[in-house]
Amino acid sequence: MTNSRSELTQIVVGIVRDPLGLVGLLIVGSIVFCAIFAAWIAPYDPVAMNIQARLEGPSLAHPLGTDQLGRDTFSRVIMGSQVALKVALPAVFGAMFIGLALGMIAGYGPKWLDNLLMLLFDTLRSFPTVMFALAVVALVGPSLQTVVLVVMATSIPTYARVARTQTLSLRNSEFILAERAMGASVFRILGVHMLPNIIGVLAVLAAMDIPTVIALEAGLSFLGLGVKPPTPSWGALLKDGYALIRQTPWLVVGGGLPVILATLGFTFFGETMRDVVDPKLRKQR
Amino acid sequence: MKIEWTKTGINRRKFLKGATALGTAAAMPMGFAGSAFAAEDGVLRVRAYGDSDVMDPAFGKGVTDETVHAAIYNKLIQYKPGREWDWQLDAAAMIEQVDATHIKFALRDTIGFTNGFGAMTAEDVKFSFERLIDEEVASPIKGDVGPLSHVEVTGEREGTIVLNEPFAPLWNIALPYAAGNIVSKAAVEAAGGRIGTDPVAESGPYLRSSWDPKNKTTLTRNPDWKGDAPAWDTIEILPIDDENTAEIAFEAGELDFTRVSLGSVGRYRGGVPNGGQLQEYPSLYYVWLGMNLDHPKLQNQKLRQAIQHAIDVPTILEAAYFGAADPANGMIAPGLVGSRPEALVPAAANFEKAAALLAESGETNVTLTLDILNKTTYSTIAQIIQATLAQIGITVEINLLESGAFWASGDNENLQLVLNRFSMAPDPSYATSWFVTEQAGIWNWERFRNEEFDQLHTAAAQSTDAAARDEMYRRAQDLMEQSGAYRFITHEATPIIHTPRVSPALRPDGLPLLRYFGKS
Repeated sequence: MTNSRSELTQIVVGIVRDPLGLVGLLIVGSIVFCAIFAAWIAPYDPVAMNIQARLEGPSLAHPLGTDQLGRDTFSRVIMGSQVALKVALPAVFGAMFIGLALGMIAGYGPKWLDNLLMLLFDTLRSFPTVMFALAVVALVGPSLQTVVLVVMATSIPTYARVARTQTLSLRNSEFILAERAMGASVFRILGVHMLPNIIGVLAVLAAMDIPTVIALEAGLSFLGLGVKPPTPSWGALLKDGYALIRQTPWLVVGGGLPVILATLGFTFFGETMRDVVDPKLRKQR
Repeated sequence: MKIEWTKTGINRRKFLKGATALGTAAAMPMGFAGSAFAAEDGVLRVRAYGDSDVMDPAFGKGVTDETVHAAIYNKLIQYKPGREWDWQLDAAAMIEQVDATHIKFALRDTIGFTNGFGAMTAEDVKFSFERLIDEEVASPIKGDVGPLSHVEVTGEREGTIVLNEPFAPLWNIALPYAAGNIVSKAAVEAAGGRIGTDPVAESGPYLRSSWDPKNKTTLTRNPDWKGDAPAWDTIEILPIDDENTAEIAFEAGELDFTRVSLGSVGRYRGGVPNGGQLQEYPSLYYVWLGMNLDHPKLQNQKLRQAIQHAIDVPTILEAAYFGAADPANGMIAPGLVGSRPEALVPAAANFEKAAALLAESGETNVTLTLDILNKTTYSTIAQIIQATLAQIGITVEINLLESGAFWASGDNENLQLVLNRFSMAPDPSYATSWFVTEQAGIWNWERFRNEEFDQLHTAAAQSTDAAARDEMYRRAQDLMEQSGAYRFITHEATPIIHTPRVSPALRPDGLPLLRYFGKS
């Protein structure tokens, strides 16, 4: 327990000491903060219409102007962070944990099971995510849950493959062989000895996947296949902004900026975390 | 009169002229060269929203193909440019409805086909019309000629169009539109019975001299055209789907004519860049909220009427159409026979009445889905409907659908509310035809079934009495509205901008008639 805590502290310190890591951490922290406290931070009800005040430019009252229904764009951006994380976090962490479990089973289980699971992963990976998402959304209709499930399904093989590789490299290491010789159960070996050695790599992968998922949700919403109106989402803002760009550029700014920031933030954060977690890279620093 | 019809092609002079222009342009800096092309005296550059790739009028895909067909082929009659629907003679020197089912015509003797296919004859007219109703040809615009029986050839250039029964729309949507294009019988037969992406023989004031797929269609003057000379030597049609892009191209001097978005009308009312002009035309499209009468949740007429009265059309027009469109009083737009001066349900919402109707219905905790096409305009309309229906206690969940899924909604029995938009030809029968009983579950998504409506649709199409038709179509729309299944919203609008050197020739709904475009 003490070891885990000191390891975590070491990672956090490592991230904070790196300028890019610190920027990433601040951006990620801000997005998470906005998402958690959106209802208190947003100055207006993000779905309250005021047609008379539509398509207004930035002002003190509306820092990012208003949309075609007179809704405050800033409030919609703030609330949009909730949607972004509501999709990204369950999708990425869901995929990570399922992928971790399946990957460890594939890596530690019998050969036939490994082959079967690899076939399944390869089949799932062969679907281009966006095309798969479009097909599923077209069939079952757009919703937050659909987007989460699609992203999760297409991301599982990535995590599973990494987990399997790590498991394979660990299964014949001396400390695992010693555990087996002492009669430790499979669950103990996987859960207590292997998991801590695999989870770090997967966490880095997850951090770097989050902006991809956020961009995917924004992309689906941009195509009108993401969350349902009037739920605010960055992609929906971009979609409306693109259609109305000759009337006001602020919807595109409002929808685009958070996507860019989220991508940069999570990427900086993830890359720095990878450098800190990976001992080889850590030595190079 | 003997006419020598030459073949199309590039002669030495044309080649040298083109090569010189190309060389001059290439020698210029890019930006300057672009402007020089846009401002070239004899070249008109117009925007179309799609590419024109079908040169067989029997298989045209609508407005984009017809824009080119109308310039390179002739019809017996053409739409007359202006603000009111009317037609004028084209290939016909004379045309006359001799009785309810017979239309006599005589062709001008100055019209012929290119590529050596000779003068236009009544046989060509017969061939062009009869192939539309030929089962083997399977033309998708067969319905436009309704009960056409055959064309009787009575002379080299004279004939009679014979109908199985009276069909008034023939004059409005068949003869002057896509179905009315006359092709060369010899040329089409030589091509194997169907024209592909290249016109095999043209007869209009322009020839399609080149086609660069998805990039540009170029029309040049037909040197053998014996009618009034067209004003422009060359017309370049640029397919640009996005209106924002087209507006930017116009403002950069790359276009002479384009339709613009309704959102830009306010800005252009204050002045069009480069000395251009804005013209606002009404549109024939109709947008409405439909309710599926077969759905268990929408069986209560009072509930449907409550929904009708709770939808505030002026707010929708302000937010989604930027105040540049008027409320619709039905499917049939103003200016057409059958247009109603006012709807039964006023445009402005009446929340008190809506709430009272809802209370009368006895329905509580009503939750409905509203299916829409995933475009910003419809999403905006849907959110306003959602908000206004919420005011009387009806919860609406919006389903955004991509176009494939949306346009397959006809057989979706779970459809509840749907926001829809249909295109329209300038005859009311075109609108009512989609809402007859036999269309239920096909294009009649509301599953509106009304015997009187069906009878009115049939009778009005057969009547040649304009006043009687007008009365019948008004009544037909009353029946639709009384069913509670329809809330008519708008016909939208067609705003266009053009450079000062162009004098556009437009149909009353703002669609271009390129052959009549002039210079100013």
